[in-house]
Amino acid sequence: MFQPKPMTHLLIAASKEQMASVVTELYRHRVFHITDFVDQGKEGYEGVKLGVPFENAGQLSSDLIKIRSIENVFQTSPGTQFDVPVRPAETIRAAINNELPKIESEVSTLTAKRSNAETKIRECEQRINELKPFALVPVELDLYRGYESLAVYAGYVEKDIDFAFPSEKYFAAGKDGNFLVAFVESANAQEAEKVLSDAGFISVALPTETGTVQAAIDKYNTELVQAKADLADASAKILEAKAKYADLLAACDEVLSCDVERAEAPLRFATTEEAFVLDGWVPYDDVAKIEAGLTQATGGKVYVTVDEDEINYDEVPVEYNNPAFAKPAEVLMDLYARPKFKELDPTIILSIMFPLLFGVIVGDVGYGLIYLALALVGRKLLMRMGEMGAKAFKIILGCGISTVVFGLLYSEIFGLSLPWHSILFSRHLPIGGDHLPQVMDLLVISVAIGVIYLSVGWIFGMINHARMDHKGAHRTKAILGKFGWFAMFWGMLIILFSLIDIGTFIAGITIPLPNLTVIGLPLTIVGAVLFVLGAVFVARENPLDLMEIPTNLLSHMLSFCRIAAVGLSSVAIAMVVNFLAMEFFIGPALADFSVVGVLLIIVGVLVLIIGHALNVVLGVIGGALHPIRLHYVEFFTKFYQGGGVIYKPFGLKRKFSEE
Amino acid sequence: MAIETLFSDVGAQALGSGLAAIGAGLAVGLAGIGTGVGEQGIGAAAVGATAEDRGMFGLALLFTVLPETVVIFGLVIALLIMFI
Repeated sequence: MFQPKPMTHLLIAASKEQMASVVTELYRHRVFHITDFVDQGKEGYEGVKLGVPFENAGQLSSDLIKIRSIENVFQTSPGTQFDVPVRPAETIRAAINNELPKIESEVSTLTAKRSNAETKIRECEQRINELKPFALVPVELDLYRGYESLAVYAGYVEKDIDFAFPSEKYFAAGKDGNFLVAFVESANAQEAEKVLSDAGFISVALPTETGTVQAAIDKYNTELVQAKADLADASAKILEAKAKYADLLAACDEVLSCDVERAEAPLRFATTEEAFVLDGWVPYDDVAKIEAGLTQATGGKVYVTVDEDEINYDEVPVEYNNPAFAKPAEVLMDLYARPKFKELDPTIILSIMFPLLFGVIVGDVGYGLIYLALALVGRKLLMRMGEMGAKAFKIILGCGISTVVFGLLYSEIFGLSLPWHSILFSRHLPIGGDHLPQVMDLLVISVAIGVIYLSVGWIFGMINHARMDHKGAHRTKAILGKFGWFAMFWGMLIILFSLIDIGTFIAGITIPLPNLTVIGLPLTIVGAVLFVLGAVFVARENPLDLMEIPTNLLSHMLSFCRIAAVGLSSVAIAMVVNFLAMEFFIGPALADFSVVGVLLIIVGVLVLIIGHALNVVLGVIGGALHPIRLHYVEFFTKFYQGGGVIYKPFGLKRKFSEE
Repeated sequence: MAIETLFSDVGAQALGSGLAAIGAGLAVGLAGIGTGVGEQGIGAAAVGATAEDRGMFGLALLFTVLPETVVIFGLVIALLIMFI
């Protein structure tokens, strides 16, 4: 809790003969995070080089590329294949050797056929388009070429022209431009070209076909139909092949990816002529397992040691270590940044508060049930997205349940009242309910949540500086700086409460707030001292930080008002929708039943459905985005940096195969 | 007739609550415009940054929603006007 998994720095050394068994063993356990060896002449590493991949790496890679290219043709990938039976890796390797060449040739024949058909279609369409203007000219296609003393021009002009010498000319005005064909004697060609270019002549290629234009177009049309049939046939066959091979390909892809990763692993090792060293991290609990496994796999010919030198904590890979219920919120943390190794990991707070605040904001039995239903309907889809989808599903489920619970407490269903009075706070606005909303109470509670969040944030900030910074004056200053903000914040609150009796000052508040004005001046002085002390501590770290007083103290605290405000706006929309539908459409229609009435009822029901659907979507934005923002902006900025190295154990999670 | 109603007690009360409603509307509306103006530049840049690097998403979202506080303040003021 609040801590990532403890990690142990392991160094593994062995002779090169053992490299393959060490790699296989580490890959099987899937817990070893390799720190890539960088050849930069570090002390103690003189003469050490990067390793070279195993011999078969090239062949494996080229096989993998073949698989990927076939998958590309099929538009599939291992990520899109589900419910595939798990096969032994050996069977798949055999399939790669025996069946892959066959599949490859089949697919390449089909793709060649498909691309030939596509090319043919393009050519035919182009020829038809080019021939079309010639259909306007009453000349057969053979007559356009084969002259010794005549020059032929065909193309588009801006306007009709006249030649001052003997010529034969056809002009056809059209939407796409004016088409002109001209035959002139070669002797006059130069002059003709001048006249043409003055008229903005754009020439088109002369046709090479024979017979009438229409006959040529018909011929291309026949070819076009044939090519389209070929294309459809090839596409259908590709789909057929996809259905047949997709899951085998996914399995091959997985096995080859594993093999390639293993074969190329030595690229991350430090090697000498005879031996290699492997540097990395293992979760503390798995050290014994790895040591035993390696010893067994190599017959004891391996040297594994725990490196206990001074640790640079920025390099330690970070793996979350949260109780099961908090795991889903890790998605929300990774969206921001992975914590550093020595940093407090606030996942657990997020995992509790995020669904809770979502419920507080949306708080409606009807909407909650809709969210639950949507989550259950979309479950399969989310599960297919892998681990992240499964976590997202649990978050949505939590939010849905919390929304229903708060809906019961607020006594709200689709903006209407449940049969009981609200148990917690009433959010019933005057347009729908029978009693007024407790707006002030809700706002005060929201700000109180803010006060707690900010205080915890600064306390965490102090802890983080104490744990992460190097010992010295700088660390003390940084810790006191965080304390300064905390002191200023509470100083401000104490001054406020000692001067004003907030409970009576704010009209319409029913929560009992302590009246501290009875203590009066002494308390004001305590507050002022705290405030000034805090300001001094902050200024000692960096005087410019004092500029942040308005935002850090006031803005961030009042920003928590959004919990109440966004929630009330969601209630308001629901109530307006109900009001519109009932008072304007359904109510009058029921009172005076007629044919028009039926129409009005239909419109009213539509208004209800569309309005509430809109509110469900807005609820997600309001209910999810605002709490997450409160955490990211108001809470995390007080203590959280993030940017830790993500723990990536060497090994691949297999879905389709087993060793 | 209308003027007479305006100056009666009932009329003044109605006028008052009407003006309050307009004020509440202005508070939310103007604050919303302000937020929109603030977010447009940040949002465009944030989408660009996220397109370059998916890891930027969290930070980009954080920056984009910063000006949103303004419209929440507007909403709170509107609530105070309407219900206090």
